[in-house]
Amino acid sequence: MTPLTSNQQYDCVVVGSGASGSIIASKLAEAGQSVLILEAGPSRDLKDLISSQLWARQLKWSGSAVEEEGNHKIGHGFNAGFGAGGSALHHYGVWPRLHSNDFDILSKHGKNLDWPISYETLRPYYDEVQADVGISGDAKAEIWRPKGEPYPMPPLPVFAQGQVISKGFSAMGLTTAPIPLAINSVPYKGNPSCVYDGWCDAGCPIGALKNPLVTHLKQAILAGAEIRYDAQVTRVLTDKNRQDVASGVEYIDREGHTQRVKAGRVVLAAFTVQTVRILLNSVRANGVALGNQFDNLGRYLTTHAGRTVFGLFSEQTDPHLGPTGGQLICHDHYDDKTAIKDSFGSYQWLIANAVKPNGLLGYANSRPDIFGPKLQPFMAQAAKHLGNMLYVGEDRSVRENRVMLSDKTDKFGIPVARTVHNAGPEQEAQMAFAMAEGEAIFRAGGATEVWTGPRAPIHIMGGAVMGSKEQTSVTDDLGLVHGTDNLYVVGPSLFPTSGAVNPTFTVSALAYRTAEHLIKTG
Amino acid sequence: MNDLSRRNFIASTGIGLAGLAAGGALLSPRQAQAVSLPLKALTKDQALTLGALGEALVPGALEAGIIQYIDKQLGEPNTLLMLKYLGVDTSAMPGFYRSALGSAHRLSQRLFKKSPEALTANEALAWAENIAAGTDKEWQGPPAGFFFFVVRADACDVVFGSSAGSEALNIPYMAHIAPTTSW
Ligand SMILES: Cc1cc2nc3c(=O)[nH]c(=O)nc-3n(C[C@H](O)[C@H](O)[C@H](O)COP(=O)(O)OP(=O)(O)OC[C@H]3O[C@@H](n4cnc5c(N)ncnc54)[C@H](O)[C@@H]3O)c2cc1C
Ligand code: SF4
Repeated sequence: MTPLTSNQQYDCVVVGSGASGSIIASKLAEAGQSVLILEAGPSRDLKDLISSQLWARQLKWSGSAVEEEGNHKIGHGFNAGFGAGGSALHHYGVWPRLHSNDFDILSKHGKNLDWPISYETLRPYYDEVQADVGISGDAKAEIWRPKGEPYPMPPLPVFAQGQVISKGFSAMGLTTAPIPLAINSVPYKGNPSCVYDGWCDAGCPIGALKNPLVTHLKQAILAGAEIRYDAQVTRVLTDKNRQDVASGVEYIDREGHTQRVKAGRVVLAAFTVQTVRILLNSVRANGVALGNQFDNLGRYLTTHAGRTVFGLFSEQTDPHLGPTGGQLICHDHYDDKTAIKDSFGSYQWLIANAVKPNGLLGYANSRPDIFGPKLQPFMAQAAKHLGNMLYVGEDRSVRENRVMLSDKTDKFGIPVARTVHNAGPEQEAQMAFAMAEGEAIFRAGGATEVWTGPRAPIHIMGGAVMGSKEQTSVTDDLGLVHGTDNLYVVGPSLFPTSGAVNPTFTVSALAYRTAEHLIKTG
Repeated sequence: MNDLSRRNFIASTGIGLAGLAAGGALLSPRQAQAVSLPLKALTKDQALTLGALGEALVPGALEAGIIQYIDKQLGEPNTLLMLKYLGVDTSAMPGFYRSALGSAHRLSQRLFKKSPEALTANEALAWAENIAAGTDKEWQGPPAGFFFFVVRADACDVVFGSSAGSEALNIPYMAHIAPTTSW
């Protein structure tokens, strides 16, 4: 069927309505540009955020299948969202900054990649984002924190679980601080403060946790950006005469019709795997996909290794209280990436996460070895006395870990994404060290029984990495795709290396920087 | 289940074939009869096997509706099943359950010459233990240990994942927006 082409020309078309796309859309619309957001998933409202571990699963990726291979698969089904607000709609709001030693790993250590910018370049954007969005925390208590403005809100309270586990950290000579959270500890910019019920994984309908529906997506719509839901972008179109100029995008609408829209600029914000998939499907007349002239597209795919330490304490911990992302943080192992034998990279502890009984992260599933009549007594004890904390380990950036196109296609005949991701021996060594440390911390804090969950992939980054050289990257430091004039990428796919912190604060700071450039040059 | 050491697992359950005691069937005739309610995705045998396994793993799962939950969700385009997180595409989910439930049913017949719903509680535990260990050479479908993990998680979802389940553990549910139905 012939694609339907609308004659309307937008200044910018943004693909994806999540964390990064809604920042670009709001900033450009506020600057007076005409903006169209195309979102593959459905429209969602705050009232759709039902407090249930089961219903929360409806917020997850439900688009085309993603094939996964490797010894540490990326977990797209858990890590990607779908519809208004993207994964950020039900993310946990843990917002630490990268450290300055995350930006020059190749230069300093001869491995992985360098970022084309330093922490100092990003610092003012971190400060601007945190003032706009609102972060609760205690900058002084974070003795490892890179320079920046203090947080605009005081930290959230530390409940029994955090207090009990922090004793273990102190006994081991380790430092904890309140987690910097994009969650209100006090009312902020019209949104109320958190009520500590631990429902963040299902989305926070009161807006205490800053999801795009209460921040940039709301602002984008208010500023006049248009949004079309159930609109799956399949490829970027280029100008007939100039293949380095993006002229718009092709998408499939909710009726299954192929549509085309024209735009002066195209910004891909479809999260890591789908952004790469769109680019790989955007093949120029010379047979090479946009951004792939040096075979870098899809490469350097990364995911953090996440692994939870669980323990039962004699003291009451009330693990249902607080935010899902946790109460305390430890970055004592961040600044020396070579400190642990046979390992490389940083790691952080996110401590005292609020947990539910069921679900992938719930305590029932942390002990699959307990079932039948033994289960109920375990559950009753865990409901009151469980402690848990999450290890988040830095990944390696290697060319072999990548997103490709599969031979299989989705229901519209578009090749689906295939990913390969393997952890290396240095990541294994770091995780083994951290698990031993975690167990010792829990024992020192008085745990009577300690166990660990399996390694899980958390966050997905890389694939369209930024860099200063075309030969080793896909975009420049602003996300402009090499070899094109007006095609940009935003989101964690830009990260040359993963660091060991949750990515969305950095995603937001980078998107602020790109938006500033797009407005200046608009 | 990937990381679980099979040997530790068996040891920690503390149950073995030798310790089995006689007792009533896992599903009462009334419960078994109730399974003939219209099913969309599963056959009656598959549903009975699922009910027996769910109940053996998480007592209360049958009454909480594990059969109805799985049967309904297998027909939903945007399913609530936890399998969604575990790398199984929605279109492959019915086949996942059907093939493994068939294997589980045959295993019960081989071990005890009984259908799963007729197993005693202790027999059902031994059957579940065998599935968890993944040692059945005739097993077909997804790996038995993985299937065990999934059904156990599903059973936990229906038993603990509601406000009633939470309150039974003495913890407040504290919903912002309470679900109008459990699933
Ligand atoms: C359970 C969970 C907890 C998390 N917790 C944290 C946390 O505490 N801290 C943190 O920093 N990060 C966290 N994250 C990660 C965070 O959500 C992401 O880093 C962030 O949302 C990425 O922003 P993005 O704009 O790139 O993608 P998203 O926010 O995912 O938005 C991408 C959007 O693009 C749409 N899309 C995809 N393909 C297409 C297409 N072809 N056409 C049109 N639209 C398309 C998607 O439907 C989606 O809406 C968490 C993630 C999850 C899943
Ligand atoms: S714990 Fe706080 S941030 Fe999380 S859902 Fe509840 S009110 Fe929202």
